Amino acid sequence: MVTLTIDDREVTVPKGTGLVEAALAAGIEIPVFCYEPRLGPPVGACRMCLCEVAPGPPKPQAACTLTAADGMSVRTALTSEMARDAQNGTLEFILVNHPLDCPVCDKGGECPLQDLTFRYGPGNTRMTFPKRTFEKPIPISPLIALDRERCILCYRCTRFSSDVSEDNQLVAINRGSQSVIATFEDDPYRAAFSGNVIELCPVGALTSTQYRFEARPWEIQNSPTVCGLCPVGCNVSATTREGKVKRILSRNHPEVDQGWLCDKGRFAYGHLNARDRIAEPLTKTGPRRFEQLTWEDALDRVEAVLRDADAATVTALSGGETVEQAYALGRLLREGLGAHTAVLPEEVPDRLDAKRAPLSALREAKTIAVVTDEPVVERAPVVDLWLKAARRDGAKITYDTPKGRVDALVTDDPACADSCDATNVYYLPRTPNGRGVADAWSAASDGEARDVKPRVLIVSGDEAATDPNVRAIAADAETVIGIGMFEENFRGLADIVLPGTSYLERDGTTVNLEGRLQRQRRAVMAPCPDELAWVAKLAERFGVEVSAHASLVFGELSERLFGGISFGEVGEQASLPARAAAEAPKEQVPGTTVPGTGLRLVAYRPLFSGAAVERTPELQFQKPDAEVHLAPADAKERGIANGQTVTVSSNGTSLELRARIAKDLASGVVRIAQDHAGDLHEFVEVKSNA
Amino acid sequence: MGLSNVLLKGADERDLTKLAEYQAIGGYQGVPKARAMSSDALIEVLQTAVLRGRGGAGFPMGRKASLIDRSSPKPKYLVVNADESEPGAFKDREVMARVPHRLIEGCLIAAHAIECTHVFIFIRGEYLAEYEILQAAVDEARGAGLFGDVEITVHRGAGAYICGEETALLDALEGRRGQPRPRPPFPPVQGLYNAPTQINNVSTIATVPTIIEMGAEAFAKTGVESAPGTAIFSISGNIARPGNYELELGTPMRELIYDIAGGVPDGRELKAVIPGGSSVPALAPSEIDVPLDYDSLQKIGTFFGAASLIIVDDRCCIVQLALRSAKFYMHESCGKCTPCREGTRWMVQLLEKIEAGEAELSELDLLDNIGSRILGRSLCALGDFAVYPTHSYLSKWRDEFVAHIEQGGCPYGGASSLEGIEAPLDAHTHSPLPVIA
Amino acid sequence: MSLVEDVRQIAKKYPDSRSATLPALRLAQERDGWLSPETLREVADALELTPAYCKSVATFYDMYHLAPVGTHLVEVCTNLSCALAGAQKVVDAFESELGVKPGETTPDGEITFRTVECLGGCGYATVVAVDHRYKQKVGPDDVAGIVGEIRGAQ
Ligand SMILES: Cc1cc2nc3c(=O)[nH]c(=O)nc-3n(C[C@H](O)[C@H](O)[C@H](O)COP(=O)(O)O)c2cc1C
Ligand code: SF4
Ligand code: FES
Repeated sequence: MVTLTIDDREVTVPKGTGLVEAALAAGIEIPVFCYEPRLGPPVGACRMCLCEVAPGPPKPQAACTLTAADGMSVRTALTSEMARDAQNGTLEFILVNHPLDCPVCDKGGECPLQDLTFRYGPGNTRMTFPKRTFEKPIPISPLIALDRERCILCYRCTRFSSDVSEDNQLVAINRGSQSVIATFEDDPYRAAFSGNVIELCPVGALTSTQYRFEARPWEIQNSPTVCGLCPVGCNVSATTREGKVKRILSRNHPEVDQGWLCDKGRFAYGHLNARDRIAEPLTKTGPRRFEQLTWEDALDRVEAVLRDADAATVTALSGGETVEQAYALGRLLREGLGAHTAVLPEEVPDRLDAKRAPLSALREAKTIAVVTDEPVVERAPVVDLWLKAARRDGAKITYDTPKGRVDALVTDDPACADSCDATNVYYLPRTPNGRGVADAWSAASDGEARDVKPRVLIVSGDEAATDPNVRAIAADAETVIGIGMFEENFRGLADIVLPGTSYLERDGTTVNLEGRLQRQRRAVMAPCPDELAWVAKLAERFGVEVSAHASLVFGELSERLFGGISFGEVGEQASLPARAAAEAPKEQVPGTTVPGTGLRLVAYRPLFSGAAVERTPELQFQKPDAEVHLAPADAKERGIANGQTVTVSSNGTSLELRARIAKDLASGVVRIAQDHAGDLHEFVEVKSNA
Repeated sequence: MGLSNVLLKGADERDLTKLAEYQAIGGYQGVPKARAMSSDALIEVLQTAVLRGRGGAGFPMGRKASLIDRSSPKPKYLVVNADESEPGAFKDREVMARVPHRLIEGCLIAAHAIECTHVFIFIRGEYLAEYEILQAAVDEARGAGLFGDVEITVHRGAGAYICGEETALLDALEGRRGQPRPRPPFPPVQGLYNAPTQINNVSTIATVPTIIEMGAEAFAKTGVESAPGTAIFSISGNIARPGNYELELGTPMRELIYDIAGGVPDGRELKAVIPGGSSVPALAPSEIDVPLDYDSLQKIGTFFGAASLIIVDDRCCIVQLALRSAKFYMHESCGKCTPCREGTRWMVQLLEKIEAGEAELSELDLLDNIGSRILGRSLCALGDFAVYPTHSYLSKWRDEFVAHIEQGGCPYGGASSLEGIEAPLDAHTHSPLPVIA
Repeated sequence: MSLVEDVRQIAKKYPDSRSATLPALRLAQERDGWLSPETLREVADALELTPAYCKSVATFYDMYHLAPVGTHLVEVCTNLSCALAGAQKVVDAFESELGVKPGETTPDGEITFRTVECLGGCGYATVVAVDHRYKQKVGPDDVAGIVGEIRGAQ
């Protein structure tokens, strides 16, 4: 610990604490623009933080670049004329070429430049010359608009691009007062995390094209919730106005997301208002046609179908449901009908819970084994940022093909992927809540599944509806009952469809890939009743009691699954449950891969795909290119260079794709995004066209 | 004790770009001598010699070496600053063109002092001929097996004055935009590739062999006590015999200007002397009775800088001088920090207005105040360099600024020696921007 | 050798291959005359960096051309020392001799003419760099000769 004074206030902080944080601890503000510890070491560029520091040279010092030391005396604008004039001067220089168009600026009202100018800035301007002007705003992607006149060149956005996301696509060009932020020529800023620069920008220079002119700060509400689009479960706040979601902002959970979001989580909310959104129950009237049903009819019909099939009912779950939804469905179908059979989206065994750790712990790892054939960023985007951070901190990262069926990250013991004595282990599941859904379903009843020929298939969620396996089962079912959001996904599949809600429209809990239980909160009302409401009604008809309120449903199962904590206790920033007692190493679940010759093809599910992305026009440019990923060794062997056109063939079929040499790929495996994999078989050969 | 010939010794008699010729006058004998010493002993020698940096700041080279964190597991680097871009300075260029091996010998000795095996010489991109001579000398010396386990890489810049600033130089050397880094951490602790790094000017390093040759004590007795040795003084502008003159530190400025360089030609009057390159406060004729060394110049409110005197005669409009120099610093500002990026541009706008005779008196104070708001607040000293001269012109020749305002134009009526002088445009070098107006 | 191979060779001289950025850009410019978007993409591939990164570096330095230039480059220093010695008269002489203003290229695409900041030849004013070779103590009367030399060299 070191003790220093800030504006004569004594404060004691841990050694190595930055002055900005030390001042905060003393309840004093040191104003900053460029300073943002999440972007790496300070750059001291904007000079907003100038303070009088002793000991030190007799001129203002950039406080953001200094760390607290014993006996140090720091004076901010509060008690130092030197600091006051320096900060005032910095703002004067910033404003010299700033358009001051706050009334028409999306940042207006929540703008650090506005606030700091008000607190520390000059009242009037002494600048009498025409200001620097640029063409504005220019779209740097379908998602982001850049206003170069407003830019104060704090280099936050470019540092994010180069030092956090490591995409190196958003840069500063030219020199001195000619410097501007830019992408290469007219290329769009195309990277999984591009949207974060909007939140990082301390002025209105980088704004969201979706949010443009949509709302003013005093007209909006922000609901703290959790993203439901991937297994990371980033903490977000949903900005709403007049019952509509207008934007998604990060809500920094230091252990989970560090305040970063992927572009899917940030921009895909438009799917709530998709044209084919289901608001009323539907019944099939033709091969690809539906007709609306009243709720009474719908529930009567469903009841009839279920009574008739009774135990011969199979439920296909998406893994996107909340714990409460899955539990309620389980009560209805398993207790009410004895229909215990469920098709789960993926296997997520709980035996790794003994190695559970927060994602942030990846930064302490010395070695990390990434045990999956799929790109981490496509499956659990923010985990990729943690991996990059770990690599920058000096961790050694290896890439292995899973031995068992479980994809995982293993730290400091690459020896084994499954149950082993690694320091930490993280799952890389496919679905946002597969784990919670599986546990909730099994907690719903003690009955044993019997082998029955399914007569009725219940398809819960759009993900299940688009899953080929589920569709295969549906083919021989007499009746298919769907629950989902988008008509398109159920056409030609379901006989009856009941409307489903989005993660932004419901209350409930989910379990992320760390095993962390988190709260989803309703940000806007769904266009239809909540699933729990009608499931409860139906259950009643089968003599089963289920609450229509997430909190009560949770209360019922918390004891069995979550150590009895209450709904409220889950909190806005959930903590990670303690590790489960270590179990004896289990038998490895044998992998599904059959041996073959050539390179094994992994057709991965791209981040920018799925029902929500399909319904967000601005995100289409983010879809993956027609590329095949090769491990460096495999490429070398075949004399294939990065960017070359190659032919990928497996008996019979062949495709032309661009080769990309991927360092995060184990030899012997090639990757192609599902959308581009055509009908290639599991083993392929790749030949250079050169 | 007199000593006028250290850096360029022998260069008039022989072609010292040739290894054999340099060795014939005892060249490279300092390397085995130095390598026979421990690093600590060698640093001790350099400290005793009080060799002050010739690049501008005048920090003792030996002390800098002693700050190198030699306990660090990382490699140590020696970086030679051959970016010489200060207007008025052309001394390092002559060292590289005429005595490249003396510089190389200095590199090998200094490298041993800090236990460094990889030396980088960062030479400004415009110095093509000098680069070729230096590279050839490096190859010849390496070929002759003089390097031992040391490697010397000559790295060419690409046209940016800021890369002379040591941390910007490091970023340029790392393949980035050459923008200064915040300090702390300082290069001796975290420099090139985040490893401990010693950075010195060409003339500083090229002086090292002489120290080994004549001994630290003897060297310390030359020049002035606070700054022993010699410096190559570049003198240019309105002067009869412009050029480089190697002189003992402490030589009177008047002697250099009048006796050695022949004074102001064409019967003109001396108007101003910018003693350290265009970035330091200018001196009025009444102020030139001063010894040419760091402390003496600092005592009268200016700097030794790059030991480069620009002589200005009475044909020059001081506002035009201030404007042209301000345009240089605006053009060279790297754009990283706010005061320098925005302030240098604003200063140019004001000076243009003043020169055009369209300014008001209050705007002289505004110009002065803008300067004060840059001074000491920018990330590196380039901001200060833009302000030092301007402030000196404003305070020492204020009446000329006032005359522009009162007469509604330049009192020289087109007769000034800088009339109409054009500064570079950014055409070709910058990405064409959709700039309106 | 191809640009890629050359760049790989240069990169070997440095602990970190990124350090080859400036040399790589220079090589590419010497080959193509200027750094077109296509050239920048090629350099980026060779360095395993992005085109945007290469552009951000290239646009920082005055010696890289981000727009086409003539076969030959004439640069006149107009900083203080040269200016005091009459550099503007030299600039004017080139202007009339070449018929183009500073920053422009002769219609035949042969010579690009521009003013530059201090070239480090202040004692030998006025300094003119022709394709980066210095000509010193240049006066207005020498200009015709210099231009003739350049044109003759073709
Ligand atoms: C804007 C700026 C430009 C500089 N240009 C040079 C230069 O061209 N050559 C040089 O040796 N030092 C230059 N310096 C000083 C260097 O930062 C550094 O102090 C010097 O190279 C250290 O070497 P020395 O101790 O041997 O003088 C410059 C400093 C600044 C702030
Ligand atoms: S666009 Fe915003 S974040 Fe980027 S440099 Fe400008 S002000 Fe900073
Ligand atoms: S916040 Fe310290 S310089 Fe920007």
